[in-house]
Amino acid sequence: MIDQKRSRLAAIGAALVFASTIAVLLARQFNLGPERPAPDFRAFGPADAPVQIHEYTDFACPACRGAAGLVEEMLKVYGPGLRVHFKHYPLLNIHPWSLHAAAYADCAGAQGKFKEYAALLFEGQQHWAEAKEEPKQFAEYAGRLGLDLDAMRACANDPETLKTIKLEIAEADMKGVNATPTFFINGKRAVGSGQLLDQARKFDSVLRKASNK
Amino acid sequence: MNEKTGTKEIIGLLARLAVGGLFVYSGAIKALAPAEEFAYAIESYRVLNAQLSLYAAYVTPWVELWAGMLLAAGVFTRANALFIGAMLVFFELLLGQAWLRGLPITSCGCFGSSGSNSIAAEFAQNLVFLALTWAAWKFPSRWSADAVVEAK
Repeated sequence: MIDQKRSRLAAIGAALVFASTIAVLLARQFNLGPERPAPDFRAFGPADAPVQIHEYTDFACPACRGAAGLVEEMLKVYGPGLRVHFKHYPLLNIHPWSLHAAAYADCAGAQGKFKEYAALLFEGQQHWAEAKEEPKQFAEYAGRLGLDLDAMRACANDPETLKTIKLEIAEADMKGVNATPTFFINGKRAVGSGQLLDQARKFDSVLRKASNK
Repeated sequence: MNEKTGTKEIIGLLARLAVGGLFVYSGAIKALAPAEEFAYAIESYRVLNAQLSLYAAYVTPWVELWAGMLLAAGVFTRANALFIGAMLVFFELLLGQAWLRGLPITSCGCFGSSGSNSIAAEFAQNLVFLALTWAAWKFPSRWSADAVVEAK
């Protein structure tokens, strides 16, 4: 009799464990976890904007270069209705210098020039993305923008800088990101510029209302 | 049922729900975030190396979630309360050694990346939850899976 009761309790326990595991895994899949904001220098638009886009990008990815222009255009058009959080997702297996590029861009951001440095990285993508040795362009772009190169180098090799990027990679992996650019528009996934535009259209009235205020 | 027994049962139920709920929340919030994030918090206690911290970060949130769920539902209540009590004591030891060594811990890792209180405040909070866990262990309630199965 006692064994029977224990078995019943064990069955209830197993059902609860199973149900809670499935619930958490589904919540992960539907992107219901907390959204980590990007550092301030990588977030553009008002903090209280009704439409929030989290963009996972790789500086060495050609499609990301195209999307960067589109996002810039959207920020201009929708102004106060939109906030874009730029997140790093370097594809380490195919782009050997993406992680370094992301680190340098963040270090430029620490000196107040993230956007400008990111634009140069995208613009010169074909020159550094496939380099055999550490690309000289990283230093060259810093020079062009008048940044402190020694500080940039130290910062780009600082474990704290790399930690931030690796956390963003882990966060993206958890959300099932496996291509760049991937966007989450108020939580809705879009891969590539075409899907971004499609998703953005669904928020068109909200965006226009906010930008007309 | 006399009044005294009823009060104890209610205390036991509330304690179970409070501690179980806390563990479910704490486990779920961490299981929904990248394990690396929690692993960095574990590393800051300087007890485990990076690799072991990552393994611990993969496992701990699920253990917290399941143990909390079982305690809240009252499944094997006393054994679960003992297990959760042991976990809380272990967390206290971790916090205590960090406190004594003056480690610069900015996030205790208790609730993922959301902000955390000072080590002292977390230590005190855990003591409160230890007391509640004791109440859950001490005062079995009829509003539990244990009692429902026992009555059948």
